[in-house]
Amino acid sequence: MNSTFQLDLHPDADSLNAFAEQALGVPERERILAHLAQCSRCRQVIFLAQQAAAEAESPALLPVARPATSYPWYKSWSFAWIPAAAVAASLALAVTLHSRHASPAPEMAVNVPQSELAAPQPVLQEQPHMIATHRAVPPPAANSTAGYARSAENRELASSRKPSVEISPAAAPSAEPPSLSGTIAPSAGESREASVPAVNAVPAPLPLQAVETFKSEPAVTAWQQKQRQMSNTLSSNANTSQISRESTFKRKDAARVSRGGSAYAAAPRMTTKSSYTNTFDAVSAQPRAKAPALRATGNLKLPSGLAAVSTATAPHLILEIDLAGALFLSSDSGLHWQQVASQWTGRATEVRVQEGSTASAGEFELKNDSGSIWVSADGKSWTAK
Amino acid sequence: MSVVIAYLEFVGITPSQPVEASAVTGVSGAPAPVCAALLDELWRDSGAAAYGLAQAEFSRILESVAAAQNYGLAPGAAASRRHQGDFFRSLRLADLVLARACANGHEGAWEHFLALYGQPLTRAAIAIAGSETLGRDLADQLYAELYGLTTREGVRRSPLDSYKGRGSLLGWLRTTLAQRHVDYYRRTRRELPLDDPSDGFDPPAAVSEPQMPASELSLLSKAVEVALHRQPAEEKFLLAAYYLDQRTLLEIAPLLHVHEATISRKLRRVTGDLRKQILQNLQRLGLSKAAAQEALGVDPRDLTLNLKKILQSSLPEAFQEKATP
Repeated sequence: MNSTFQLDLHPDADSLNAFAEQALGVPERERILAHLAQCSRCRQVIFLAQQAAAEAESPALLPVARPATSYPWYKSWSFAWIPAAAVAASLALAVTLHSRHASPAPEMAVNVPQSELAAPQPVLQEQPHMIATHRAVPPPAANSTAGYARSAENRELASSRKPSVEISPAAAPSAEPPSLSGTIAPSAGESREASVPAVNAVPAPLPLQAVETFKSEPAVTAWQQKQRQMSNTLSSNANTSQISRESTFKRKDAARVSRGGSAYAAAPRMTTKSSYTNTFDAVSAQPRAKAPALRATGNLKLPSGLAAVSTATAPHLILEIDLAGALFLSSDSGLHWQQVASQWTGRATEVRVQEGSTASAGEFELKNDSGSIWVSADGKSWTAK
Repeated sequence: MSVVIAYLEFVGITPSQPVEASAVTGVSGAPAPVCAALLDELWRDSGAAAYGLAQAEFSRILESVAAAQNYGLAPGAAASRRHQGDFFRSLRLADLVLARACANGHEGAWEHFLALYGQPLTRAAIAIAGSETLGRDLADQLYAELYGLTTREGVRRSPLDSYKGRGSLLGWLRTTLAQRHVDYYRRTRRELPLDDPSDGFDPPAAVSEPQMPASELSLLSKAVEVALHRQPAEEKFLLAAYYLDQRTLLEIAPLLHVHEATISRKLRRVTGDLRKQILQNLQRLGLSKAAAQEALGVDPRDLTLNLKKILQSSLPEAFQEKATP
């Protein structure tokens, strides 16, 4: 028994601790164990120390205040699914929008039947002066391709499909201009094509001159011109279709009558802009030929800005009624217009060359919405019939 | 030659030392000075220089520790150089140097001590006392004691001087806390009034007629006492911890460095051996085998045995409990 035992009667803390940590030799361990077997105080000490060590090794059971390491509730993993779901939803939305955005490309590349696309082509062929008119429009750029507001992707699609279909510029009345060679009719153009009367279903390709003319024009201008041309053509062709359908009005233009026939056989497909035009006939070929040309170039405009619903043409005089019922008179083939003061009752709906009168006589009739008719020799002064 | 040198080193004799010096302690028990090479190695490993502890002072500390423990050997046994080196290397020299530097009042050592053991000591005190208030008071009291506020004969005394580095310093602190707490509890329990119901005394059992004659009961008590006295120390400790202190197998197992299942088996074996020894003792005392078997079936409450007293009576006079003031 060492001095520590003999001095304190109990093993000191170092010996008890060494016993608990198995750091004693066999002889001293046996002595400590023998003492522990007979000393309840030392047993209590050693068990308490062991209990404290065990609690120190298990931090969850410690009663002391530990440094605050708790995290707020929103940082727990249970809420991690919220940002994850948001990211997933964003990705799904992006993919959906991207697919929807990219989907029109193949639609624009749909091949339109050539018979439909080239329908207005004879108008251009029969009116070569339009070429000059189109040529008069300055191109916005040396390379007209640059003038197109198309994406590079659509241009590639258009160029890749260039050899497949050839259409006239008139067959591409899209908001987006047709390609230079007029090969592709955009999908939007197709829908418009349905409303455009396929009056001239001539499958022949556009003459090279006309194609080159459109090549040098800005795309939007060509489309706008084509729109106007189509509307003008509608009115004129409506008259010719009226001829083929043996309308009540006489055909005054022999040339146009001779150009009827099979080319205008498709006229019944046309849904004319108004029924008024079906009841009237064009009188003179020359002025009427100029008027559509002017319309095609955008120079023929009524001062009201509205579309004409009825037209009567005599040498050096053109009378037109717009949608509002206002009557306009032009003595210079539609270059300048003046509004005729209303001298009739109601709303003017139709104007025509008086039946039986000669072209040189130039007597006009005006019909209002109630069916009353007024007549005029100069288009300015009207008297009730 | 190399084989001889290796053998000498194995038995703790270095070639530079004479064979006579292999036994550093004789019967007188005065430890020899630590070998210079070993001292330098231990001094560098312990980090004593950080606390301004010179090699000479470090050597004195080692010598005092070795003298107190006799290098971990039985008293009077001589320790070879190898035992000396093994003993010193088994010490927790860093903790030992820190404790001695703190006992010497080194400020840096105290800062390091508080940083290392400040919070663990408080937590251990709370765990031991079972109350945060009592635990903090216990820890503060020990801090003051460790700092050397207690003086004896005009000299500051710190319990850290008694740390010898065999176990960890933190374990030593826990054990010291437990000693202070147990001593305080035992001292205050003796001061409790007698009518306090929590004084631990059980009410006397109802007097009943014993099933056996008094002579046979006396023989049984003597046989049990003899059997308990003959038990080895470990078995006694098991019996006392399990049956007297009501400790669990899980609490006992770490102290004996075995699994709790082993403790259970040992307990079963010890009780079986005790029964056999009691039977043998009864037969030696003149009872027949059948009478001895019948005596074992007696109600334990009929016995006038105080097992706690029997176990403690085996202590020599120097081991009688003495509470630390």
